[in-house]
Amino acid sequence: MSVIPGVVAINTFREAVRDRVLYNLIFFALMMIGAAILVGQISIGIERMVIINLGLSAISIFGIIMAIFIGVGLVYKEMEKRTLYSLLSKPIRRWEFLVGKFAGLLLTLVVNTALMTLGLGAALYCVSRKFERADATILVAVYFILLELALVTALALFFSCFTSPMLSTLYTLGIYVAGVFAPGIQGISQFTSNWVLAVVTRFIYYLLPNFHNFGVIAEAAHGDAVPLALIWHNTVYAALYVLLILVASAAVFSGRNLK
Amino acid sequence: MLLALVAVPALFAICAALQMRIDVDTLAMNQDKEELLLRSGPLLQKLSLGYESLLADIYWTRVVQYYGVRAHKPGATYEQLWPLLDITTTLDPNLMIAYRFGAVFLSEQPPGGPGRADLAVQLVKRGIAENPDEWRLYQDLGFLYSIHLKDYKKASEAYLEGSKNPNAQIWMKVMAARVAETGNELETSRLIWTGVYSSTKDEQVRRTALQHIHSLDAMLGLRRLNESSEDYWRKFGRFPTSMQELRDAGLVGGTLQDPAGYPYVMGPNGVPQLDPKSPIQLESQQGSGTLR
Repeated sequence: MSVIPGVVAINTFREAVRDRVLYNLIFFALMMIGAAILVGQISIGIERMVIINLGLSAISIFGIIMAIFIGVGLVYKEMEKRTLYSLLSKPIRRWEFLVGKFAGLLLTLVVNTALMTLGLGAALYCVSRKFERADATILVAVYFILLELALVTALALFFSCFTSPMLSTLYTLGIYVAGVFAPGIQGISQFTSNWVLAVVTRFIYYLLPNFHNFGVIAEAAHGDAVPLALIWHNTVYAALYVLLILVASAAVFSGRNLK
Repeated sequence: MLLALVAVPALFAICAALQMRIDVDTLAMNQDKEELLLRSGPLLQKLSLGYESLLADIYWTRVVQYYGVRAHKPGATYEQLWPLLDITTTLDPNLMIAYRFGAVFLSEQPPGGPGRADLAVQLVKRGIAENPDEWRLYQDLGFLYSIHLKDYKKASEAYLEGSKNPNAQIWMKVMAARVAETGNELETSRLIWTGVYSSTKDEQVRRTALQHIHSLDAMLGLRRLNESSEDYWRKFGRFPTSMQELRDAGLVGGTLQDPAGYPYVMGPNGVPQLDPKSPIQLESQQGSGTLR
């Protein structure tokens, strides 16, 4: 087993830390402290729910912003700075470089998400002075957010292999938004009487990465359990989809003329 | 590259199969929970950054999907139908389809809908307030009052109000008259039919209006005779057997004829009736013995 992807990943993580990417945690912490103080004053009986909704939504939004804006520059930046050429002149295969970049950004996001989850936990404890058994769903929601981030990162990396950061951002964001509204696309296929449209929308529904699968923030806020089958299926789905995108990325990147 | 050509479609196929399983998992979860995070139309209006019309279209699509998925499913609930329609019409107060079809969705009886005709009326009234020139909304309001709420007086008023719009079809007045007739508002109905008769140039409509006026006059005449017959019973302890007995008792006077010129006759149990040879056809039997 090659250690090269691991080395690239560690360096990608270090670079992100050096770029002060984790500074967003300060903003997150301030927001959670402010929310913890404010919700006690302005809401009755739903303080916990507000904190959970706000915290998980913030974790998701911050993560997606990071995944897209860092992800789209992962390969492009290396080419712009010409560091990619010296790197690829060493015995590193292109797919190893890509996997390393992906793992490095994912590691950054995992650390970032873990720290934000701790912040959410602290704010939750400040508001209600206890943790409940149902709060375990919050961890499931965080796990689903991580799966979502892994997919977004892979998408950003894929586009980063062949186009500019600006276009990569647009493409990734577009697919993300379409993926979030995937059930709406499926809805069209159910209600249209035009069979061609029904087939096309159904195909698009299954083709798109379905980000709606990972949305359990409402369940976490209400303390409802998430079925184990869903956790398992979502995990396999995200893993396979990430693999799919990485394979496609490797194919595109390997075929690219870097001269 | 060859590996990618094989692996990518294969992985897509597996992901699609997996998605079908996830759809089953999430279906049970979503059936239990009907979530609408933002319920405030005015707030969404502000958040839409000037794209409220587009957002209204999206919300209307959501309404259709929400209703379509649940309609006629046993045990289906429609808790979010009103909030969704409320948001849609707040975002775009001129989205006529949302008022008209929304009212239909709301008023349908379970399992076809939530059976909330009261909310449907509220929705249509809001539509009228925002779009006073849309006579069809009065038509919908009249329909809701007459069919779902059985409030024929209000239904007739709604049809009549809508008929005042210069673009309204003539049958709005006809509907107002018919509904008033159904609700036993015979005088109102006659008044509206008379209006139809005098305002239309269409021969067919005029003929129909005249038939209704004659029918209503006959019903009103029978109603008066019926009241006299009951007075007779109170006075003599039995019902009159002929019109002459009513005359002799001083309870009625003048010519007792229907609008076609045929005399009214006394039926069994003192129930006045039309002469069997009379060409007049009563729209309903409310003017005769069924009152008793």
